[in-house]
Amino acid sequence: MRIIKLKKDNLFPFLEIISEEADLWAPVKKGDKHAFTIIDDLSKIELETTRTIIPPKKIFTPPTFSMFSISDKGYKEDFSHITKKILFGIHPCDIHGLLTLDSFFKQAYLDPYYLEARKNTLILGLSCWPDEYCFAKSTHTHVIEEGFDLFFTDLKDFFLVWIGSSQGDDLIRLKPELFDEGLKDQDIQTYINWQAERDNAYKWNIKFIALPDLMELKYRDPLWEKLGDACLACGSCSNVCPTCNCYNIMDKQFLGGKDGKIIRHWDACTLEEYSEVAGGENFRKKRSDRLKLWYTHKLQAYISKYGKPSCVGCGRCIATCPVDINVRTVGQALLGEKPDAFWARFNKEVTK
Amino acid sequence: MNGENKQLTISNPFLPEPARIVRTYYLTEDVKFFQVRVVDMDKALSFKYCPGQFAMISVVGAGEAPFSISSTPSRPGLLEFCIRKVGGVTNALFRMKENDLIGIRGPYGNGFPVERMRDKDILIVVGGLGTAPLRSVLLYCLDNRDQFRRVSLLHGAKRPSEMIFREEFFALKEREDLECHLAVDGDDTGTWTENIGVVTTLFPKLKEIDPSSTYALVCGPPVMYKFVIKEFVKLNIPKDQILMTLERRMKCGVGKCGHCAIDYIYTCLDGPVFTYWDVIHMRELI
Amino acid sequence: MTKNNNNKLKIGIYELTGCAGDALLILDCEKELVDIFQAADIQSFLMAKSDNIDGELDIALVEGSVSTEKEKKEILDIRKRAKTVVAIGICACFGGIQAAFLDEKEWEANFKEVYGNIKMKHTKPVQSKPIDEYIKVDYYLPGCPIDKEQFLSTLNRILRGNPPELYRFSVCVECKWNENDCLLNKDIPCLGPITRAGCGSICINHNLPCVGCWGPVEEANIASEFQLLREKGFDHDFIKKKMANFSGTGMADFFGKLKGEKG
Repeated sequence: MRIIKLKKDNLFPFLEIISEEADLWAPVKKGDKHAFTIIDDLSKIELETTRTIIPPKKIFTPPTFSMFSISDKGYKEDFSHITKKILFGIHPCDIHGLLTLDSFFKQAYLDPYYLEARKNTLILGLSCWPDEYCFAKSTHTHVIEEGFDLFFTDLKDFFLVWIGSSQGDDLIRLKPELFDEGLKDQDIQTYINWQAERDNAYKWNIKFIALPDLMELKYRDPLWEKLGDACLACGSCSNVCPTCNCYNIMDKQFLGGKDGKIIRHWDACTLEEYSEVAGGENFRKKRSDRLKLWYTHKLQAYISKYGKPSCVGCGRCIATCPVDINVRTVGQALLGEKPDAFWARFNKEVTK
Repeated sequence: MNGENKQLTISNPFLPEPARIVRTYYLTEDVKFFQVRVVDMDKALSFKYCPGQFAMISVVGAGEAPFSISSTPSRPGLLEFCIRKVGGVTNALFRMKENDLIGIRGPYGNGFPVERMRDKDILIVVGGLGTAPLRSVLLYCLDNRDQFRRVSLLHGAKRPSEMIFREEFFALKEREDLECHLAVDGDDTGTWTENIGVVTTLFPKLKEIDPSSTYALVCGPPVMYKFVIKEFVKLNIPKDQILMTLERRMKCGVGKCGHCAIDYIYTCLDGPVFTYWDVIHMRELI
Repeated sequence: MTKNNNNKLKIGIYELTGCAGDALLILDCEKELVDIFQAADIQSFLMAKSDNIDGELDIALVEGSVSTEKEKKEILDIRKRAKTVVAIGICACFGGIQAAFLDEKEWEANFKEVYGNIKMKHTKPVQSKPIDEYIKVDYYLPGCPIDKEQFLSTLNRILRGNPPELYRFSVCVECKWNENDCLLNKDIPCLGPITRAGCGSICINHNLPCVGCWGPVEEANIASEFQLLREKGFDHDFIKKKMANFSGTGMADFFGKLKGEKG
């Protein structure tokens, strides 16, 4: 893969030029956190961010969107959420998340709503620095070899830019003079040092390789009841997870002969209604059973099927779950440690 | 650029195909029979399915739900369903009349492994609405009678009035190439001439079987599986020749929405037909 | 208009004890009001018209809680006349603010404090309760007030004979869809996890914690939310007041159990 150099000062001029080609999306501040947003003012782009509140999956399958408009004449496909986009500032773990979603949405039947949006979006990755929640090194998703059109590694004074696709190359060609083809030995050394330092910056680590078996061995462990007692069933772990893809459908009807809509919205297996069948029977009435399904999918199933977990180590569940049910504390508990977590302290008997 | 009118390069698996209700009538107080035909003739004929597969049926404004196909692919063109009134979509379907339009897409799921079942003995055990998917495989076996060895049917219903396809099954009793035993849990009419008792009480009536070359199929209410499977195992039928179809909440039918997930399999792709061997290894299956 | 009303479904909109905010919201559907009147035969709607008929109904939309003997009779009468009864708004669904007293004694004490020993002549006040304490309710459309889009979509579905399709999960789900940072994680007492969605997480979108005005979600884990807030330093009475404020009788059971806990 070709790697070139971009001076720090040249980044915004470059983004300016490419933003004329398509809608530019990038992380901006939202409260104390960050969110991917359509950019109308380049100065709002945040370069030194950790995770956004929700992952970039929202750009490809928005939390709610219309699949069809329906009238007496029947169904009309609605692809209005698909526009040409350039997504800048996406970190390696999130690119891995998209690759996982890709294989899922291509499996058996192609999902046009996701795949078309994907085809219309260029991915401009950006390196990052781990905080106390990140554990992408444990999932080996802190490095990325595919799944981007361009990838920018931020080396303080300059970026190294990986050209991952022909479309990425086309973007460079819009103004090649902003880039520098000749890398000096010193630049390369800077990159080597940065990489070593970054790898050492991960503050914690989890042994994923042990977890599929432990999920099996501890499937009936009282741990799950404890987690189920504390779980708020708020669905946030799924909503913030870069690889969660479940959805539900709603038939929206309007008065006065207006066309109805088939709405597709994000769903979560931790929600009560999720496993209910027609007639009201529920196969996973208990929150503990639903959490088992979630963790089976993250820690066991995907590893058995594809040889890697469907967790990408982004740390969003850790940063989000109010009662500390997340890959870190559940992983620790499966490995026999006693995690410092609200759910571990929670005693439902106290209120009886 | 707005994508609303964009032509897609891939087809949309979520787009229902208009279909017309050809016939509909009550099978029992709360179960209705629907015979439908896909409006587009080419698509009607290319709707190739296998017994045990299901289709998604939609009613504009009410929603979409999965239903087992009750007809047999050996009689192409028309699709048949037995539907119980349980929720929004089925309520809307029950209000519909002959000639009304519904949406249909499919077929989905794995269906029964009819290729593997060839030249084997077939034992079908059904209870209540479990008849819906197994009628497909039963009729398929009877239409291709020379491809299968012995075919037996054990059928259970709660009461005579809750037996679906009553006339059809009584007519089957007359066939000499089918061993057919019917039972009801209780007879409140005083006119039932067949067996009384749960479906498992029919097992002793079965002629001796050759377990290693028997495929045993079961579908019925959740409580039934445990007891029927026990009987199959007693008969020494190999675990991977015991087949069952399981109900889960298929919402999309194409392995995307996640609702029918059990562990890491999707009922709509890997099921709804599972062997008993699968079930033993799937923690949540029954 | 009346001559075309023969095959339209007959609807009555009723207000019991409440702020009439839901009826007002229906009136406020300016653009859609004509559609509503065209789609249904509005037999009774006190806020909108004076020629109201109290006859047989296909659908009764009832706002407000039952808080007098007179309203008890009224709600029983509505049930008798209507094929389908829909509770609209938090007061009809869960009792609302006026039902936020957790037991009979507390209610009596509060009543005395506000009204003294006044004798009520036209009707006898009773402890405020959601309408399903007295009648069977077919559908619930919570909200304070109800959401316009959800109301129109629900009404449409019922008019077509389909059950309403409402979110059955908590505010947190919509809150994450709106990419809000969790307020609980910033130690702000937010009731999102135990409150039914449908509002579009409007308060949290404006950086204000959820007050629970859509009532408890079906599977509300009140115990966990309670202990979480206790850990964050809020005392028993504060949490109780906050939770009971809108949920009416919805959380009384929980706080009944909680009596042993020191505040």
